[in-house]
Amino acid sequence: MSDAKLSLDFKGLLCPMPVVKLAQAIKQIQVGEILEAIATDPGVMADIPAWTRSTGHELVSLDKREDKTFKFVVKRLK
Amino acid sequence: MTETIELALKTLEAQLNQPLETALEACARCGLCAESCHYYRAEPKVKHIPAFRAERLRSVYRYEHDFLSRLFPVWTGAKKLDEPTLASLTEIAFSQCTLCRRCTVNCPLGVDTPLMMRAIRAVTTASGTAPEILVMLADAAIEKGKDPSFFKDMFLEQIAEMEEQLRDITGDPTATIPVEKQGAKILYVPLAGAHTILPPAAVFNVAKEDWTLSIFEAANYGVFLADVNRAKQVAKRIVDEANRLGVKEIVIAECGHAYASYRWDVPNWFAGQFDFKVRSLIEVLADYIRDGKIKVDPTAIPEGVTYHDSCNLARNGGLIEEPRYVLKNVVRDFREMTPNRDQAICCGGGGGLVALAEYAERRIAAGKPKAEQIKQTGARIVVAACENCRLQIGDLNERYKLNVQITAITDLVVRAMRLPKPLPGHEAERLFEGEEAAVVRE
Repeated sequence: MSDAKLSLDFKGLLCPMPVVKLAQAIKQIQVGEILEAIATDPGVMADIPAWTRSTGHELVSLDKREDKTFKFVVKRLK
Repeated sequence: MTETIELALKTLEAQLNQPLETALEACARCGLCAESCHYYRAEPKVKHIPAFRAERLRSVYRYEHDFLSRLFPVWTGAKKLDEPTLASLTEIAFSQCTLCRRCTVNCPLGVDTPLMMRAIRAVTTASGTAPEILVMLADAAIEKGKDPSFFKDMFLEQIAEMEEQLRDITGDPTATIPVEKQGAKILYVPLAGAHTILPPAAVFNVAKEDWTLSIFEAANYGVFLADVNRAKQVAKRIVDEANRLGVKEIVIAECGHAYASYRWDVPNWFAGQFDFKVRSLIEVLADYIRDGKIKVDPTAIPEGVTYHDSCNLARNGGLIEEPRYVLKNVVRDFREMTPNRDQAICCGGGGGLVALAEYAERRIAAGKPKAEQIKQTGARIVVAACENCRLQIGDLNERYKLNVQITAITDLVVRAMRLPKPLPGHEAERLFEGEEAAVVRE
């Protein structure tokens, strides 16, 4: 069972739209809560870690899955 | 005066050079700019006249620089900058102008209204009131440049997988996607994601080009913020890579703002002569076709195709005939929109607006003139050589029920190269094309 407060589907979105949507979504959860998302654009493998580094949120995990989608989990820290 | 306002005014003062002062002083209030603006064409109201928008900044400028305006602001329409005025300026610059410059080229005095909008953007960015997402995207790109190690391995892994796909598509087991190849002739700078890497990689391999990727992408959100400091930091990643690898030229992906900034702004920002030149991928494609380095089938694409001139490529970048040359070599039924070329109507997605969800409704409404242009061509495929334009036209497609496919030029070129296998996501097109071709043969 996932601990994520919010689960998002970014399939089909090209970069930077996953980052844009993530930046909006992070405001919908409280500090300390996490959200998870699935994307198909490989650009997220660089863009999401870069976004969490520059904004100060925590990238809990970022995995490539067998179905060639990318799952990432982000914790809101501020 | 608050610290925000103080910073805003200081930034405005710092930007006052001759071109900006001329734009602030020269307007004759003739209103000829109105019809040139897609916002006004979509909704003919005074607030959408470019000169009216610019007047909001002019009124602040007058208050600061005209003695009479300071004493009797009501007489001259001057306005002291305060927080609500700054908020209003921010909204104007980021949601009511795409910096397309159609108003400038149609102004009898050549008043550069977008330059004033850029000045506002710079003011709002410096004073911390610019849209947060643009700042985040610019800062994320800068972060990548500071320490690429956190994504480089993942990037190389992705490239290795793309290389497998490339070999499948081209039927060439030796096809490669070189990364950081020392001494390569071309440094190709894509956008993030596979869709701007795989199609050009297919072309470069067939053309036997000596090329390489770096690990950095072309998009530069500092440009949209009119924040030269951030924009320079993002651009420096590419400039440094080009110098380190010793390439002869940088070739920019199909991206309007990236091309315009690397071609025209970067040499100014770095105030130096580079050992490499900057070209768009479109120019390279045109050369390959002209020189016979790639073979394309002019009957490969039977559907009606129209081309949207990205403002940054055509009006602001000078890339007007090259995309048409390429398209006329790969499509059977090319249809121009009217007006086109340097008078093309902006799609409404430029200036970073597609990333601003808070203004999405306004952006899509302002795209109505472009949607009508597309409808009038009757084309089934709309080609745009800019990612922001493609995203915007995708939204217009949905809202105005255009029923079109939206694609990049390179994707059509690859299709016309008749490679053994189609690009990912293009399988359905190949099927459609086969059916259409069968009908034509009857």
